[in-house]
Amino acid sequence: MAGKGIHIEGLKKRYGKGDTAVDALKGVNIQVAPGEVVGLVGPSGSGKSTLLKCLGAVIEPTSGRMVLGNDTIYNDGWKVRDLRALRRDKIGFVFQAPYLIPFLDVTDNVALLPMLAGVSNSEARKRALELLQSLDVEARAKAMPAQLSGGEQQRVAIARGLVNRPPVILADEPTAPLDSERALAVIRMLNDMARRFETAIIVVTHDEKIIPTFKRIYHIRDGVTYEEAGEGREIL
Amino acid sequence: MISLAGRDIMHAWGKFVFTGMGLGLLIGVTLSMAGIYRGMVDDGKALLDNSGADLWVVQKDTLGPYAEPSSIYDDVWRAIRGIPGVARTANVTYLTMQVRQGERDVRTLVTGVTAGGAGTPGWPPYLVAGRQITRGHYEAVADIATHFKLGDRLQIRRNHYTVVGLTRRMVSSSGDPMIFIPLKDAQEAQFLKDNDAIRQQRRRTAENPAFNRPQVPGLLDSVIASQNTNQYVNAVLVQLAPGYQATEVADSIRRWKRLTVYTRNQMEEILIGKLIATSAKQIAMFLVILSIVSAAIVAFIIYTLTLGKIREIAVLKLIGTKNRTIAGLIMQQAIALGIIGFVVGKISATLLMAPIFPKHVLLEPLDSVIGLVAVILICILASLIAIRAALKVDPAEAIGG
Amino acid sequence: MKRIPFQGRTLALLVVLLPLSALFIYVALRSGPLAPVPVTIAAVEDRSIAPALFGIGTVESRYTYKIGPTVAGRIKRLTVQVNESVVAGQILGEMDPVDLSNKIQAQAAAVQRAEAQLVESQARQVFAKSQAQRYNQLLEARSTSEEIVAGKKQEYLIAEANLKAARQEKIRLHAEGAALEAQLSNLNLVAPAAGLVTARNADPGTTVAAGQAVVELIDPENLWINVRFDQIHARGLAAELPAQIVLRTQAGVLTGRVLRTEPLADAVTEEMLAKVVFDLVPRPLPPIGELAEVTVALAPLPSGPAIPNAAIQRLGGKTGVWQIIDEHPHFTPVTLGTAGLEGYVQVTDGLKINDEIVVYSAKALTARSSLDVVEHIPGVAL
Repeated sequence: MAGKGIHIEGLKKRYGKGDTAVDALKGVNIQVAPGEVVGLVGPSGSGKSTLLKCLGAVIEPTSGRMVLGNDTIYNDGWKVRDLRALRRDKIGFVFQAPYLIPFLDVTDNVALLPMLAGVSNSEARKRALELLQSLDVEARAKAMPAQLSGGEQQRVAIARGLVNRPPVILADEPTAPLDSERALAVIRMLNDMARRFETAIIVVTHDEKIIPTFKRIYHIRDGVTYEEAGEGREIL
Repeated sequence: MISLAGRDIMHAWGKFVFTGMGLGLLIGVTLSMAGIYRGMVDDGKALLDNSGADLWVVQKDTLGPYAEPSSIYDDVWRAIRGIPGVARTANVTYLTMQVRQGERDVRTLVTGVTAGGAGTPGWPPYLVAGRQITRGHYEAVADIATHFKLGDRLQIRRNHYTVVGLTRRMVSSSGDPMIFIPLKDAQEAQFLKDNDAIRQQRRRTAENPAFNRPQVPGLLDSVIASQNTNQYVNAVLVQLAPGYQATEVADSIRRWKRLTVYTRNQMEEILIGKLIATSAKQIAMFLVILSIVSAAIVAFIIYTLTLGKIREIAVLKLIGTKNRTIAGLIMQQAIALGIIGFVVGKISATLLMAPIFPKHVLLEPLDSVIGLVAVILICILASLIAIRAALKVDPAEAIGG
Repeated sequence: MKRIPFQGRTLALLVVLLPLSALFIYVALRSGPLAPVPVTIAAVEDRSIAPALFGIGTVESRYTYKIGPTVAGRIKRLTVQVNESVVAGQILGEMDPVDLSNKIQAQAAAVQRAEAQLVESQARQVFAKSQAQRYNQLLEARSTSEEIVAGKKQEYLIAEANLKAARQEKIRLHAEGAALEAQLSNLNLVAPAAGLVTARNADPGTTVAAGQAVVELIDPENLWINVRFDQIHARGLAAELPAQIVLRTQAGVLTGRVLRTEPLADAVTEEMLAKVVFDLVPRPLPPIGELAEVTVALAPLPSGPAIPNAAIQRLGGKTGVWQIIDEHPHFTPVTLGTAGLEGYVQVTDGLKINDEIVVYSAKALTARSSLDVVEHIPGVAL
């Protein structure tokens, strides 16, 4: 599934029309290679959420270009018809809160995505278990989300983001509820996964604990991104 | 694909089952309401069935003997018996009254049946205990709804009767249990006043100089005796000989005897169309109201359940779940709720409500099937509001604001 | 350990849903028209029916005496009260004679006058007879005319007739006097037979019409019951049959017998009448007019197939019973014989001894009903 990661060029988003129009995104350029984890940092109101929603194919940008893997998904207009399938197959989401489906057990929470894509139940569960294994939570495979600790939930959430092998994963404040040690563990896992599955990962954060771990960081301010080299500190 | 609805129900089955039970009690009441209506119709039909008659001959221009008072002479049957096509005739009296047993009294329809054997029109067609009346006087067959037992002594007017047999489902059109007694006793009971009233009547007669004449000894006694007889019955039940049409025989009785005659169909029309029409309308109204209330409650429950899952729905949408799957989730849950409710409702209506209800509740299987279909339809309709709310959920909500 | 919560939930769910669905299936199948009909069955028995007739009657006295004056008059005194026993010939009361004694005096005077007239007539007759004899002798002696002799003879015959008339007049007046005397003694109201006073219709001072009863007597030794039997249930009623009598005021059952059946039936009430007498008149006497329930036992019939009358049904104009054949109900028309008061009816045709028939059922049966054979129909309080 891995391709060329994600490539965003001149993405703009304007809310409203005429005099009351607000330009949330004025020119976003982001490029993440497969296997790379980048940070996206910005104060609130900087357009971070809008960018995330545009990347997540939940709202439509006003103009610009987005390339996901080998496919141009947006070029001054959506280039794919089924955004739902796009989100399901090409984009992995990891949220601030894990947002696991409370009535499905851990395996099925992860396996749900391939199932939605039409994969057979047993195959989907097999994939999910593999992932859970690599994320070291296979022991809780039959547990319900409510029975997991915060870190375990987040790992399951990551597994869910990865299960369809999307070219890109959008992680929105994945470490916010976690203490420093766990937060770093999550970032390390994301790095591992990115390398392993050739996935481009964008981590939206303002968590000071993890910012130094990124090799590259995009700052967003007033709807404009600025690229900057990170410290790329090794996580021990 | 796994069943999301099923998983959700399994996850919160306690809440779900209890909600379903609550809904079930409401559905049970609705089913009971329909059962009460069927029971009323059935009471009317039972009354007609139990009389064993093909034709009812009553006082001219009355809707007797059930819907209106009717009285005809007790020897009219002889003339009717002679009409071609009439196989059997039997006098019958009906009198709704309180029957006393010790301290207790029960509202009953006291039916006077012609002497004869089992199978005579008017006689209870089947018993559940004891035997039919064999003596010409002072024996009674009572319905078990009166809670009388075999061997009990009842008081009807001045006379005491021994319960020799018990029936089941022998009720008047208003659901009062029937008590069968010999016709002569019933005629007497219909006419006889209490002892005080008789004494007053005798005194009044004695004070009338026209009746109390010293020159004519015995006149007063004769007059009083003539006042104390009752030669009326309420109706003559007619059974037809094989091969005769009820309407033809009825016509000839109408024409030659100048009495009003009803056939079985006309009698049903009177009982169901006239006697219980108002009650039936009330029940229909209740049924409609209960259905609307049930629908509203189902809609509300499903809507609440859905609102509680709005975040999950947003996540599902974000990760690419189809609208159809989400709508299916909600609708399946609504239907499941409806089915649990229906099952609980049917059980509670049959085992809890029908037995304790003072009137006959008849739960017809066809009504239950219609009820089930209605419940499912109502649930589907009720889930539409929740589905609409769920489909309006923006997947962007899952991504922090 | 980790799998248990889910399994526990499944288990709990089963615990709730299984009984619920089991109940539902039970409810769906066991109630409503699909449900089998609870019935009780019995075998046709070989038993002899002791047929009996049941009638209602009132206690009456066989002999009732209504005693009153033969002429209109006023009651002078009454010496008996209701419920007193009297003996034959006892004076119960007396009517006021009013002017009867004066009439008797006048009658006595009239008798005396008649006697005087008789004496006078006798004297005239004796004189006329001697005159006639004398003139006859004179005629033989040719000393008188034949005409005179004829005149004397006629006088004698008239005197003879007058004497006869006077005699008869005297007898008449005597008899009239005796009649008045008799009336004087008839002022007493006398009991014609020993009995019990049941009514005292008037008190002294009351003027009563001739023939109106002042005192009513009954013969307490001769009570009977006037019993009415419904014509339908009166077959076999005949004199001399033993009867059992239940009186409301008397404990227990009394015995008696049918004295006679009345030749006239009551056409209006469609009843037959019979008189039943007690073997032993109960003491204290039952009140006259008391209601009596009379059961007349007929001669027992030879034994034969008999069924409870509760089993008899009517279907399609035929009388019959629901017979159990191969565990299914089958309507068998039967011909019924004599019925006993205890609820058994003989079957003359249609059933054999030991055939199984439905006695009680919780609802009307049809040939397609499925049956649930029980000891007692549910819901029947025993």
